[in-house]
Amino acid sequence: MTGSIIDIRNVTHKYKGSEQDTLDNVSLEIKEGETVLLCGASGSGKTSVIRLINGLIPHYYQGDITGEVYVDGKDISQTELYELAGVVGTVFQNPRSQFFSIDTDGEIVFGPENIGLDPKEITARKDGIIEQMDLKDLMGRSLFELSGGEKQRIACASVAALLPKIMLLDEPSSNLDWESIGTLRDIISEWKKQGKTIIISEHRLWYVKDLVDRVIYMEDGHIGCEWSGDEFRSLDDNDTRSLKLRPVNIQGRYEEIFDFSAKEKENHREEFTDGIVLKDFYFSYDKKPYLLFKKKYSEADGEELSLCIPELVLPKGKVISVIGCNGTGKTTFLRCICGLEKDCTGTIAIDGKEYRGRRRIGLSYLVMQDVNHQLFTDSVASEVLLSMKDKDDARCCEILDSLGLLKYKDTHPMALSGGQKQRVAIASAIAAGAEILLFDEPTSGLDYSHMEKVGELLHDLASSGKTVLVSTHDPELIECCCDYELYIKNGRVISFTGSLEKLEGIRRNAI
Amino acid sequence: MTARLDPRTKLYMILVVSAVVMMSATTPFLWAVRILMTIVPIVLLITEKHYASAFRFLILYTSALVINFTCLSEQSEGFLMAFLVGYCSIIVQFMPAMITAWYVVRTTKIDEFVSAMQKMHFPDGITISLAVVMRFFPTIKEEYLAIRDAMKMRGIVLGEGNIARMVEFRMIPLLFSCVNIGDELSAAAITRGLGGKVKRTSVEILKLGIQDYLLITLFTSVLLIFVVFKYFR
Amino acid sequence: MNKKRLQAKDFITIGIFTALLFVVEFACGMLGFLHPYIVASYVIMIPIVGSIPMMLFYTKIEKFGMLTIMSVLLAIIMFVMGMGYLGAPLIILAGIVADLIAKSGNYKSSKKTVISYGVFCLWICANYFPVIVTADSYRKDLLDGGYSAEYCDNLFRAINYKTIGVLLVLCFVFGCIGAFIGKAVVKKHFEKAGIV
Repeated sequence: MTGSIIDIRNVTHKYKGSEQDTLDNVSLEIKEGETVLLCGASGSGKTSVIRLINGLIPHYYQGDITGEVYVDGKDISQTELYELAGVVGTVFQNPRSQFFSIDTDGEIVFGPENIGLDPKEITARKDGIIEQMDLKDLMGRSLFELSGGEKQRIACASVAALLPKIMLLDEPSSNLDWESIGTLRDIISEWKKQGKTIIISEHRLWYVKDLVDRVIYMEDGHIGCEWSGDEFRSLDDNDTRSLKLRPVNIQGRYEEIFDFSAKEKENHREEFTDGIVLKDFYFSYDKKPYLLFKKKYSEADGEELSLCIPELVLPKGKVISVIGCNGTGKTTFLRCICGLEKDCTGTIAIDGKEYRGRRRIGLSYLVMQDVNHQLFTDSVASEVLLSMKDKDDARCCEILDSLGLLKYKDTHPMALSGGQKQRVAIASAIAAGAEILLFDEPTSGLDYSHMEKVGELLHDLASSGKTVLVSTHDPELIECCCDYELYIKNGRVISFTGSLEKLEGIRRNAI
Repeated sequence: MTARLDPRTKLYMILVVSAVVMMSATTPFLWAVRILMTIVPIVLLITEKHYASAFRFLILYTSALVINFTCLSEQSEGFLMAFLVGYCSIIVQFMPAMITAWYVVRTTKIDEFVSAMQKMHFPDGITISLAVVMRFFPTIKEEYLAIRDAMKMRGIVLGEGNIARMVEFRMIPLLFSCVNIGDELSAAAITRGLGGKVKRTSVEILKLGIQDYLLITLFTSVLLIFVVFKYFR
Repeated sequence: MNKKRLQAKDFITIGIFTALLFVVEFACGMLGFLHPYIVASYVIMIPIVGSIPMMLFYTKIEKFGMLTIMSVLLAIIMFVMGMGYLGAPLIILAGIVADLIAKSGNYKSSKKTVISYGVFCLWICANYFPVIVTADSYRKDLLDGGYSAEYCDNLFRAINYKTIGVLLVLCFVFGCIGAFIGKAVVKKHFEKAGIV
């Protein structure tokens, strides 16, 4: 047993109520202190392996299981979950749903309090963790006001406060932007230095590539192949593409796309004569006190504005990526276009027709990051019909067919997969006659083939004449479908460039 | 103000105030005690730097009080007047409880509250559930705002004029979201040791300080005065 | 995990649904500021709107204690929110009885569930307790202050000692009606989506 801290022997598993095995005779040994990456398409069993190790299978998620799992010498099937708390720690995918407290301090001490440690010991641990992970600036704050990246840092701290030997990370970067991913990588590398055993399940491979000792490739519930860290780092784009993985070596290209300082210097603005004209988009989150009349925002408000776009012409029928750091107004921009911010009084002109105020609402549609909020009815077809003023079954079927949803016509939207839900939302937008489709981070947390599908879909939407704006941190998505790049900083348009030519340039340099 | 109040003191304050608001003041002396009792949480709000809400409560309470007294004494009639006075007397009657509740909710951290409940020997199950309730209020708000945005974009805020649909369109996505979040939250909490056999501990160390004893004495006397006047005279 | 005792997960679920139910109560309560009659109609609104989360809740845990704990939580929240403690015994009693009824049907029998929810809805009447207790002395105040007896009667016609019995019955009846609606909604959405 020496050296091997996790030992999974011939495990086959199936969730309750599901037909198919999620894991098919998986055996895996992991040595103490190793850093292992699990990769593979969604549904390949990565998450199930993580759940085997932290005991959520079989103790929380019910199903049929055969085989044995030993973690730190304990037989998981005979061990209660709370006994594992000090041994295995898990950071989950969704930063919003994994915190238990309301404030950051409470969250870090949550685990130690559960296992009944002495308050003095808990405080000492908390101070140590804060020091180590540099969390001083986040202390004493409400978790609800933190960004996704900050929440994820607190989640890591909360898990680390239990001092587990084994750290599991289940797609931890899914909802993070580039900067936060960097911080996450630093945390993982610190854990590695401390000698913890780390297992990461992930779609985004580039940020962990330098940390991993071993990589397991999962495929349809079994282990497809295994690489050493060095072998993995030498995989090129063709290798990964054939395995339906996201690229391993991407950083160079990523920096090129997201090189904001260069963009600021270039300050290039593509000009279009024919297109969708946005005029007078001003908005501020700092509400000014007013007595009788609400003051309209204008350019004169200067620095106070969270969004300041006097005029912008968007080319019709193109996919435009909206990029920029977190919290610099990308989402505000999208929300203003589709009329969700009432105080933003801009006008949108299409083909010489001007739309203002509430009229903008039907014109554009935002597909939210959490698409679950946008589905209201009990079947896909009625969801689409809800958007139509004159209920037209034939047109409904036509739209569903074009999005490949026709066979799910009578299914409940919530029973569909994430990608399908996204398409239902798009279908309802098309039915409402929206000309501009807005997407907020549509591909975060998607695997390669799903990301590619979204890319194709955006491209098809553009070819059918819709104008697509997509806010994203995903260089792979930009690469595969975006025609133009709009860089926003502090709510102002800094540059607007064609992205294809630029990428061409990068490719030439690469060769 | 350096020392914070113990949550148990705050709970005691609520207990007293909610008892007193149900007994009406009949003499000027009782009115004075009642007003004093209302001023205390407002002052406490100020010490906790909640100036805006303290100010708002003060204005609202004073104006309700003034309207109530002047109008009642002038024997005014008329529907509108009656309506106004009706509201004002409800405010005067129940406002102290509202202010105290607001003060407690705004200035008590969930951990403190949970820790106080543990001290008072509530079972762990109830304290866990209560902590979840508190955590879920802001979550429900967040989710609801997102859902309302989505409804605006679809133009179905009024549920196509049908009240049942209005409720359904809000409730269904909200429930789906909350159930999902709850599942993920449970998994995350259990892997961090929630539900073990050991008694939970708490880093919030509660100790009654001098200010607690002062307030407890004050509120006990308020209660005594009202009980004596109501039942023994 | 077919253990009969409540687990950590169940406590979290109870917390979530209590929060949801309280939000429903609070949203309806907001309408009550408009006119006293709306306050009286709580007994119709809250059982029916609240039935949707509650019927989902009934399918989620199916262990004894789910309703009892929920009622204790509701009583605590009501108390902390300054709505008094007079209603607490009623709330908790309603919770325990509802729990026992549901348990006798093993949390599966739909008839028992309907009755259980009807009983549980009696907690709503706890909202009126402080008003009723205050009302008498308050009414005297108003009369002394020169208000017509007609106005005072109007203000308290809907809520007083005599009508509380009627309100309790209404709560139960609309609770049962709500249970059917809630069950239909759960079937329409959650069963179809495969959540339950």
